[in-house]
Amino acid sequence: MTELSLRLAVSLAQIAAVMGVVMLTVMILTLAERKVLGWMQDRMGPMEVGPYGILQPIADGLKLFFKEDIVPAGANKFMFSLAPILAMVPALIGFAVVPFGPSHKIEVFGITVEPFVISDINIGILYILAFTSIGAYGIILGGWASNSKYSLLGGLRSAAQVISYELNVGLAIVGVLILSGSLSLVKITEAQSGGFWHWFVFALPAPQIFAFVVYVISAVAETNRVPFDLPEAESELVAGFFTEYSGMRFAFFFIAEYANMVLVSCVAAAMFLGGWNAPYPGTILAHLGLESIAWAENIAWFTVKVYTFLFLFFWLRATLPRLRYDQLMKFGWKVMLPIALGNIVVTSIAAYLFPKG
Amino acid sequence: MQKFIVWLKTITFYEILVGMKATMSHLLHYKPITVQYPHEKRILPDNYRGMLGLLRYDDGTEKCVGCDLCEAACPSRVIRVVSSEVPGEPTKRYAKEYYMDMTRCLFCGMCVDACPVDALGMSREFEWSVYDKRQLHLNKDQLLAIGDRSFPVREKRLELQHPNVAFFNVSFSHVPPKPN
Repeated sequence: MTELSLRLAVSLAQIAAVMGVVMLTVMILTLAERKVLGWMQDRMGPMEVGPYGILQPIADGLKLFFKEDIVPAGANKFMFSLAPILAMVPALIGFAVVPFGPSHKIEVFGITVEPFVISDINIGILYILAFTSIGAYGIILGGWASNSKYSLLGGLRSAAQVISYELNVGLAIVGVLILSGSLSLVKITEAQSGGFWHWFVFALPAPQIFAFVVYVISAVAETNRVPFDLPEAESELVAGFFTEYSGMRFAFFFIAEYANMVLVSCVAAAMFLGGWNAPYPGTILAHLGLESIAWAENIAWFTVKVYTFLFLFFWLRATLPRLRYDQLMKFGWKVMLPIALGNIVVTSIAAYLFPKG
Repeated sequence: MQKFIVWLKTITFYEILVGMKATMSHLLHYKPITVQYPHEKRILPDNYRGMLGLLRYDDGTEKCVGCDLCEAACPSRVIRVVSSEVPGEPTKRYAKEYYMDMTRCLFCGMCVDACPVDALGMSREFEWSVYDKRQLHLNKDQLLAIGDRSFPVREKRLELQHPNVAFFNVSFSHVPPKPN
């Protein structure tokens, strides 16, 4: 009984820590996106709140928290309230299986704890994909329940887009799964240790570079970001599926979008870019004889990879215009899907001809 | 061969990479063109046409003679002048009431050009946003106050100009030109 409650307490503490880090990252992202976009467009970005506008996320959060919560007339009230929760929970729940650092175990009050992954379940990546699909329901429901034409159009676009691009995400990572022989993100990351030539993007016998490109493009589309931001196309649909939302419900959708960005970045880092592995064998701190704090270097590398990926999102947003709807569908089904399928065939043959030792 | 190069550019996202290079170069050579407005302001050009104001002579008397020419010149009917005689001096006129509806003003400066006694001036004020647009219906006192704070150097009233006579600044051969 005591052990059970202790385990519960430790798990809750881990969840709280990860939630805190994710929320902090989301806050940083909202500011960083506006700043980076501003700099790329010869503007300054937010400059008023705090020195160089660094307190802007707090001001935004306070503003949204105190705003009036409007439910439009004719909206399905239950669905309208459910949709933001349904969008945000799946975005946050996926972090449960992401390994943020090496799997070294520590003993707390007699029980063994893996501090850098909340739970290492053996179908980790399937779990993430399943919950990301549920997140799409939040968007569709939000669009439908608002009783607004713009919202409905945004929700429908999102439905079609998420279905076509989630398929490509799923197929793009199959190559990695064949090479690593596991669905657990922890095992996949561990299979890529020992220098960047072991990362699955570059790893012989079957470099997953095409799968990686497919994954990146599909991930951008799946998180409804520019240039695939058709569900919330500002110039066409006001704000798409969350046109009618205000206050904290709007903030939930907003957090869900950014948390999804972080999640796909984490998955990309873990599956293709070696996760927490440094691009050289081992870690510098371990070579120096500081094995006990070598995890710090691993976590730093993971953070660098995730943030590089997130910067790519901003970079694409500053550069590219929005795709037309038929272009989006054509690109997803006629270009991405054959590449992903071909990658699976090539990877399977290579893995069969050159089995791992 | 040409087709092959086009195909190669397509599959390597060449055009997108060119665009991304452009945005990245803007990020690296970051030189914002925005001005942090309330904190730093642009230098206004010399002929800037801002808020209108009524002027006075150096002895504090109003320049305006109530001739209504500004009202006639105004293309958007901003100005309304009620002219009357100076009490006890039937030869001299002045603007008893002078209203400007600045919600309609387009700052063309035609009233300033039309004024025969240079009684109107365009100041360099432009921060006139108000919460209630009725605050932009200005009366004579407000316009004189704008003129007072924007034009501290006042024109000298000419000796030749009889205080009871409206003097138009047209050139007569027997009147010396105004000192500048």
